[in-house]
Amino acid sequence: MGSLILSQVFNAIMLACTLALIGIGFSLFFGVMDIVVFCLGDIAIASAFCILGITSLTGVYAALNGIFPMVVSNIILVICGGVFGAILVTVMYHTVVAPFEGKNINASLLSTVAAGYVIRELIGIFYPGGRDPQNFPNLLPTGYLFNNTMLSWRNIIIVGTTVLVLMLLYWFVNRTKAGISIQALSQNKEASIMIGIDWHKMVIVTFLIGGFLLGIAGFLTASYASTLRFDTGSMYGLLGFSVAVVGGLGSIYGALAGSLVIAFVEVFVTGFIPGGAAYSGVAGFLIVVLFIIFRPEGIIGEKSISKV
Amino acid sequence: MAARLNDKITAALVALGICLLVYISLMSSLLVILIIVALLVVLLTYCEKTGLIDTVFQLMGKNTTLTSVIFGLFIISLPFLVKGNNDLLHIMIIAGIMGIVALGLNFQIGGIGQINFAPAVFYGVGAYTTAYLSVRLGVSPWLGTIAGVCLATLTGVIIGLPALKARGYYLALVTIALQTIFTLMIINIPAVGGPNGIPGIPYYQIFGYSLHSRVEVFGLTLPYQVNYLYLVYIVFALAIVAASRLFKSRYGIAWNAVDQDPVVAATQGINLTSIQLLSFCLGAAFAGMAGALYAHYTGFISNENFDFSQSLILICMVILGGSDNVPGVITGALLLTMIDQKLADYANYRLLMYGLVLIIILLVRSKGLLPKRIRIYGERDTGMSNGDAKLAAGAGGKR
Repeated sequence: MGSLILSQVFNAIMLACTLALIGIGFSLFFGVMDIVVFCLGDIAIASAFCILGITSLTGVYAALNGIFPMVVSNIILVICGGVFGAILVTVMYHTVVAPFEGKNINASLLSTVAAGYVIRELIGIFYPGGRDPQNFPNLLPTGYLFNNTMLSWRNIIIVGTTVLVLMLLYWFVNRTKAGISIQALSQNKEASIMIGIDWHKMVIVTFLIGGFLLGIAGFLTASYASTLRFDTGSMYGLLGFSVAVVGGLGSIYGALAGSLVIAFVEVFVTGFIPGGAAYSGVAGFLIVVLFIIFRPEGIIGEKSISKV
Repeated sequence: MAARLNDKITAALVALGICLLVYISLMSSLLVILIIVALLVVLLTYCEKTGLIDTVFQLMGKNTTLTSVIFGLFIISLPFLVKGNNDLLHIMIIAGIMGIVALGLNFQIGGIGQINFAPAVFYGVGAYTTAYLSVRLGVSPWLGTIAGVCLATLTGVIIGLPALKARGYYLALVTIALQTIFTLMIINIPAVGGPNGIPGIPYYQIFGYSLHSRVEVFGLTLPYQVNYLYLVYIVFALAIVAASRLFKSRYGIAWNAVDQDPVVAATQGINLTSIQLLSFCLGAAFAGMAGALYAHYTGFISNENFDFSQSLILICMVILGGSDNVPGVITGALLLTMIDQKLADYANYRLLMYGLVLIIILLVRSKGLLPKRIRIYGERDTGMSNGDAKLAAGAGGKR
């Protein structure tokens, strides 16, 4: 029983890692722009498809492996995915977010949801065999640490990557000028523009960083599941937004806390309730609905009171 | 007097023109429909520039009896016009069903300005309730339909309750989450057929006459779709009347007031809880009715008819046609259903089309093809100046 609980805890942490990055993506965009970009999940999956596409181009992958050692070429691939995510997010910003800035939020809401569908369908139509599940190549080393089945290298690297990315993000947000500008913008947009922060530049920087995060998130979740389906993006994005809301929209640490909550609920419902595997998604979303009704500011968020 | 007669003739001509357009686009191929749509958009922009559109709407509004008789005659004669072609009749039936759901969804999107991403849940609850009752328990389809509408309305309360607390993005998340939960539930509960759906749903019967039987009139054998065409369009007509009356009633204005500013609306004596729940419940009842009709028409339902993409399609209809404008919503539903059914050869591109249509319409013409009209009460020539009429229209011209 003890080892069962331990392995479930480990599963939950793995799931939380794949959710945390996309949740942070949602929080980042909301913090800076007061906007929720609903197509982030599809962008993450599209980046994973980009990595998959590069590896299936035999010539390129072989050439990469010929020049660099295996590890370096794999890291280059992941970075390619991240760059693809960043480009895609910037394109999305210019096509479906920027035209609706400052207007009724319903327009941007609808356009980003529709954009998610467009990305997903484009993958389904134009990627060769895109509507079938794809095997994601195993770019992470196989084998186990201490011969313990729970501690496979793949899992350790997924957790490690998440922690590394989070540390880099912490450094960026708190130690660099751009990061501090982004924080200022998320606290008070007008005041920060007044003291000379270039809002448009910061928005682009945020989108580039968020897109890069999404690319890595897509890679991690695809490696974790080892299969890739074109239509998982909307579910993944929905979970990511849920995570951000449960933790407190706009807060990076909130997204981390939220991802742990959602992941533990889903994994424990799957593991400990008979026949619960089918209902793990239901349980996760019920938690979100309850949070929105009873504690809309999330775990970490501050309560906002609107005065007339 | 002569002017009145002239008005009547013009209104009748416009109504006939609309019927002709529907008929032509029904009969022709996808390309022709797209050309017609393009021409219509040009015509619309021209009419808006010259202010002609207001005159047309006024005329149609004054002569509702005449125009509705023309539309009614058009629907009655449609089976003969298409010579009993069951594919074309099927398209019109589906368009009618979608129109009912879209009118219900419009109470939320157009009325209180909250985007409900789960209209397919209401639609599905109506369909699954009546299917379950009539297939597994042998209840009469009519009673099943009533039960479906009631249960859908209850679902409306369940989805409407979070909407009291959450607005905007949070409501979007809640409704998408509930939509996902619904899809997961119907896939995983074996009692409702799971992924296989419910086959063999009985057809409606009126005094022992099954609606699933051929009709022979004037030596012409018509397929069973004719019965359903009339049934669906009777319900659709009722829904249209109800929706346009609601739009003009105090409730319609109260919904718009909540949309503009809930706090101000509350200070003016609008009960936010009941008025918002009403919007969700009425929408759900419409959708539940449509779902029941769909279940008893096709005889088979499965989870694919009620998933998130179906919700997106319904939202697309409301936004494309013009939210909070009954003729607009009907236009959106008819147009998109026709294009959708004609796209059958290119099924791969269906959802891509909906996504692109939604983005393009939001970018180019965010109020829809037929934007919302200002409410006008009473006769124009009672001495009220234009400005007064607008004032009287209350929360009419928003956004």
